[in-house]
Amino acid sequence: MITATDLFFQYPQSASPILKGASFSIQPGSLTLIAGASGSGKSTLLRCFNGLVPHFTGGEIGGKLEVLGKDPIRLGPEQMAAWISLVFQEPETQFVYDQVDEEIAFALEQTGLPRSEMQARVDSACQFLGLDGLQSRRIATLSGGEKQRVAIAGALVTQPKILILDEPTSQLDPQGADEILRYILDLRQKLDLTILISEHRLERVLPYADRVAWLPGDGSVHEGPPQEILPLLEQVPPSVQIAKQLDLSPIPTRPEDFPRVQVNKSGPELTAGPNPAIFPVESLSATNLAVTLGNREILKQVSFRLGQGELLTLMGANGAGKTTLLRAVLGLVPSQGARMIMGEHIENASLNALIRQVAYLPQNPNDLLFADSVLDEMNVTLANHDLSLPPDEIQQHLARFGLSKLTAAYPRDLSVGERQRVALAAITIYDPPILFLDEPTRGLDYGSKRELVKLLKKWQKRDKSILVVTHDVEFAALLADTVLVLDQGQVAYHGAPGPLFTQSPVYQTQTAKIFPGTGWYRPADIDPAQISLSENG
Amino acid sequence: MKLRLQSLLINSFVFLLGILSLLAPFVVPQARTSTFSSTSFPVMVSLIVVLCVLILLFEAQSTLLNAKLIAFLGVLIALNAGLRFLEIAIPGPAGFSPVFFLIILTGYYFGGRMGFLMGAMTMLVSGLLTGGVGPWLPGQMITAGWVGQSAGFLRFIFRKLNFAGNPVEIIFLAIFSAIWGMLYGAIMNLWFWPFLAGAPGQTWFQGASLAENFGRYLTYYLATSVVWDVTRSVGNVLVVSFFARPVLQIFDRFNRRFSFQIVKEGEPL
Amino acid sequence: MTASLAWLAWLLASLIILLSTRNPLLLVVFLSLLLALGIRLSAPPDRKRWLGQNLRFIGTMILLSALINFIFTHTGATRLFSLPKDWFLIGGPFTLESLVYGGINGLVISSLYLTFTLLNKALSIQQLTRLIPNAFYPLTLITTISLTFFPSIQERTRQIKEAQMIRGNPMEKLTDWIPILIPLMVTSLENAIQLSESMTARGFQANKGSRKPSAGLAILILATFLVFAGWVLSLFNYPLWISWGLYLIAAVSLALLLSAQSRAIQITHLHQDRWEKTDVFATSTFTLVFLVLLGLILGQKTAFLSYSPYPALAFPTLPPAAWLLGLVPGLPILLRPHDHRD
Repeated sequence: MITATDLFFQYPQSASPILKGASFSIQPGSLTLIAGASGSGKSTLLRCFNGLVPHFTGGEIGGKLEVLGKDPIRLGPEQMAAWISLVFQEPETQFVYDQVDEEIAFALEQTGLPRSEMQARVDSACQFLGLDGLQSRRIATLSGGEKQRVAIAGALVTQPKILILDEPTSQLDPQGADEILRYILDLRQKLDLTILISEHRLERVLPYADRVAWLPGDGSVHEGPPQEILPLLEQVPPSVQIAKQLDLSPIPTRPEDFPRVQVNKSGPELTAGPNPAIFPVESLSATNLAVTLGNREILKQVSFRLGQGELLTLMGANGAGKTTLLRAVLGLVPSQGARMIMGEHIENASLNALIRQVAYLPQNPNDLLFADSVLDEMNVTLANHDLSLPPDEIQQHLARFGLSKLTAAYPRDLSVGERQRVALAAITIYDPPILFLDEPTRGLDYGSKRELVKLLKKWQKRDKSILVVTHDVEFAALLADTVLVLDQGQVAYHGAPGPLFTQSPVYQTQTAKIFPGTGWYRPADIDPAQISLSENG
Repeated sequence: MKLRLQSLLINSFVFLLGILSLLAPFVVPQARTSTFSSTSFPVMVSLIVVLCVLILLFEAQSTLLNAKLIAFLGVLIALNAGLRFLEIAIPGPAGFSPVFFLIILTGYYFGGRMGFLMGAMTMLVSGLLTGGVGPWLPGQMITAGWVGQSAGFLRFIFRKLNFAGNPVEIIFLAIFSAIWGMLYGAIMNLWFWPFLAGAPGQTWFQGASLAENFGRYLTYYLATSVVWDVTRSVGNVLVVSFFARPVLQIFDRFNRRFSFQIVKEGEPL
Repeated sequence: MTASLAWLAWLLASLIILLSTRNPLLLVVFLSLLLALGIRLSAPPDRKRWLGQNLRFIGTMILLSALINFIFTHTGATRLFSLPKDWFLIGGPFTLESLVYGGINGLVISSLYLTFTLLNKALSIQQLTRLIPNAFYPLTLITTISLTFFPSIQERTRQIKEAQMIRGNPMEKLTDWIPILIPLMVTSLENAIQLSESMTARGFQANKGSRKPSAGLAILILATFLVFAGWVLSLFNYPLWISWGLYLIAAVSLALLLSAQSRAIQITHLHQDRWEKTDVFATSTFTLVFLVLLGLILGQKTAFLSYSPYPALAFPTLPPAAWLLGLVPGLPILLRPHDHRD
C-alpha cells in the first residue's frame, strides 16, 4: 500500500531534516495510528503520501516513496488526489464554500464530473457521515464535530483508496471528538479503506488501531502492531502508563481491558463539597451570578469562590456557559448578582481596574501575539499597565516559563506549546494575583501538557489563584483543588475533585476506571504496595 | 518583460477607452444633440466599463498561478470587506472605512496585477455582501483596481530608488494614499455623472459650452463628495502611517512561506 | 420565480422600460410596483422598515434632483424669478419646468437604484456568485472563499480585541488597533495557507485550461473596441445599422469566447437553478417585453411613451397600452418569488 525506503525531507530555511532514514510500510486495509510529539514530523509524513510535501511546501526530499504503486513525489498532489484524501486539523479553515453540499462536491468540481453523478456521490458521502438533512445548511452554523464530518465527506467523495486524517479531533471538544471517531470506525466497516490517523490523545484511537507508526523525533519511523510499538513510547496516556508501571503484557489499550486489580486498602477519604478552610483568604467570588442574552438564560444563579493559592477547574459540555462565566466575572457581558475581588465589590468596576488583578489567557493564544520578539511581548503588557521592570526581573519571569533561550525569537515562529507559554508569560508579567485560562490544552501533546501542569503548579505556589476552563478530564485531575461543573447554565457539581473524578460516569479518569473503589484518580495516587494482580484477569 | 509590456499596453488601452467614454459629453459635441444618444448614454458607458473590467480581470487572473495565491487573496479580501464594517475611531465629519489601505499595500508589495485583483474583487465582494450589485459596481471595481495597480508601479519606482524599509517609503505611501483618497471620489463621480445627466430633452450639457459643463461638474462634485473625499484622504494617511510598516512586515514573512524551491536530495541547489 | 436567469430577464425588461420613458405617470406606477415587490421580498417583520427607508430615499432623490436642475437649468416658459445673467452657472431665469424635469429625473434615478436593490434581494449571494462565467473560475473561487471566510472575521476581531483589552490595551488611540489588526491578519493568512493546502489535496489546479489566455484576451479587447467604435459612430450620427452590426459581432465573439473558455476549464458545478413553470413563464414574458421595446426604440416609435415638461408645462398623458408597461416590474409578486431559504 505505502512503502517508504530511506525517506528524507528537510523544510526550506530549516537547519536539520525532519524525516531522515525513514523506512517502513503501511498495511493495506489497516487503521494505522501515527504517534509522536508535536514537531516530530507527523504532519510532514502524512503530507508526503499525497505529494503535498514537497510540492506545496518546497524543501529537499530524498529516498523512495511508493503509494499504491505510484510515486507521489513525481506526480504531485493534484494527481494523487484521485486515490488519496487528506483531512486536516482545523475544521474551520479548510472550506471553500459556505454551504455543506457544495463544499463536499469541491473535489468533484475539479474533475469535471457530470452533475447527476456528482449529486449521487455527494448524497452517498453525506449518508456515510450522517449529514443527511444538513446538505443545504450554511457551514458556519454547524458545530465543530459536524464541520469536521463535512470535511471528511469532502475527502470521501472522490472514492479514495487511502484516507489520511491529520489530528482530526484535536480542535474539538470530547463530544465532537467521539462523534468523529465513531464515524471513522463506521467508515472502516463499510468501505474498503486504508486509514491513517495522527492523534495526540492516543487513548482515543488506540483501542481501534491495528498498527501504530511512531515518530520518535529523530526523523525515523517505527511501524508495527500496538503491542510492539507501545513499550517504546515515552509519552503515553495514563492507562498505558499504569500498565507499564504494573509490567502488564500485552499492554491493554482500554481501561476496560485491564485484568482485575485487587487493592488491599481503600484509598484516601473523599470529601465532597468545597472546603474553604484549605484556602482561607478569598480572592474572587461570585454570588448568584445570572446572565441573560436576548431571551436565553445562559447562566442561572451561579455561585463560586476562589481562594488565594487555589486552583479551580471549570468544566462542562459545550454551551454550558463556561466562557460566559469568565466574561461575566470580568464584566464583558452584563450580569446580575454579586461579584467580588480581594474582598471588594466589582459590579461597577471598570475593566481597567479589574485587569490589575486578573490576567486572562484566551483559547487561542495567537490572539495575543503580535510583537516582533518574545521580549517585546513582555514590554507591550508592561507598557499597557504603565509599568517598567528591570531587565533581570523580566529575564527571571521568562525563565519561570522556560523561555530564557527564546527571548529574541519571533513568537509566531514557535511551536504551539511555546507560543502558549509566551502568551502566559506576557499576561502575567505584572504579577497579577488571579489568572484565568480558557481551554489551555487544546492542540497540546502529552509533553506540553505536562509542562503546563508544572508551570501552573509553580505559579500557584506563589499564592496565586487560578481558574482553568477545560474539557480535558485527565488534565483537570492533575491540577484541580476544586472543581466546578456547569450544566446548562447551572452548577451541577461544586467541590473537591475526588468524588467527581472517581464516580461520575462522564468525568471518571482512566486511573479511576482501572482502580474502582480505591479513590485513586491520578497515576500518582497509585500505591503499588497495595496492589495484587489476579492472574486470570 | 514581454508580459509587462503587454500588460502596460492593455491597461493603457482600457484607460483610454474609459476616459474617452466618460468625457464624451464634454468632448463630442454631437453627443449632446441627438435624443437617442443621450438616452443610450449611461447604458453605453456602463457597458463599456463592464467590458473594460472584464479585460483587466481576465488579464490579471493569469497571475493566480496556484491555490496559495487564490486562498491568500480570498482571505485578504474577506478581511478587507470586514474592515469596512469596523468602526475605527478616526476623527472627521464623515465616516471612514480603511479599505484602500490593504489594496494599496497589496499592490505595492505583490505587484500591479495582485493589486488590481485585490481592489476590484474587494468591491465585488462588498457589493455582494451589502446587496450593492448594480450599475455602479463595475465603476467601483475598476477604480479600486486602479488604486492597487498604480501601487504596483510605485513599488517598481521605489525599488529603483532603494526606498524599501526606509521611513521615506511610508511617507510616500501616505502621500500616495492621500492622492487616491481624493481621486477615487472624483472618478466615481464621473461614473455617476452620466446617470444624473443623461436624459433626452433639456439636459445639463445640451447646448452648453465645455467650460460651463465643466463648471457644473465641479459644483456637483464639490456639493456631493468633497467632504467625504477629504475624510477619506485624511483617514488613509493616518492608517498608512501607523499600520503600513507592521503589515508590510507580515507580507515579508508570508512571502517567504509562499515562495519556495523543491530539491531532490543529492542534487545541487 | 427563483431562477437567476428569470430575474436577469426581469432586470433587462425593467431597465429598458426605464430608459425609454420620462412620463411621470408611467414612472409613478412603475416605482409603486417596485415598492410592492420589495415588500413582498422582505421578511414580514422587516417590511415596514424597508418601505420607510426606501420612501425616504426616493423622496430625497426627487427633491435633490429637482433642486439641482432648478438651480442650473434656465429654460422653460413659466419663469418664477430671475438672477442676473452674468452670475456663473446659476444666473438666469428659474422656471417651473426645470423643477419638474429635475423631479422626473429623480424618479428615474431612484427607480433605477431600486431595480438593482430588488435584484440583490431576490437572488441569494450564492446565485449571484454563480453568475460569474467559468472563464473566470479563479475569481469565482476568490469570491466564494471571501464569502465563506467573512462571517468569522467579526467574531475573531471581537475575541482578539477582548483578549488585548484584558491584557491592558486601552483602545483609545488609532495605534491601539495594531495589536488587534496584526494577530487578525497573521491568523487569517495562516488560515489561507491551510485552505490552499486543502484545495490542493482535493485536486485543485489553478492553471487548468488557461492554455491560450492571450488569444482570449485579444478577442475580449477587440469586442470592447467594436462596442466603443459602434457607439462613437452613432454619436456622430452615422447610420444606426453600422453600430448595431458592430455590437452584434462583439456580442457573438464574446459569447463564443466565454463558452470556449468554460469548456476548456472543465469545471462542473453541483448547483443549478431549479426551473419551475413560473420561471419559464417569467423569462419568456420579460424577454418578449424587452425585445418589443427594443424594436420600438430602434424603429424610433417610442413617442407614445415620451413626455417633456418643456417648453411649457402640460399634464402628461398615457395611452392604455403604456400603463401596462408600468405593471411589468410587479409581475414577480404573482409568481412566488421566494425560495424561503433564509
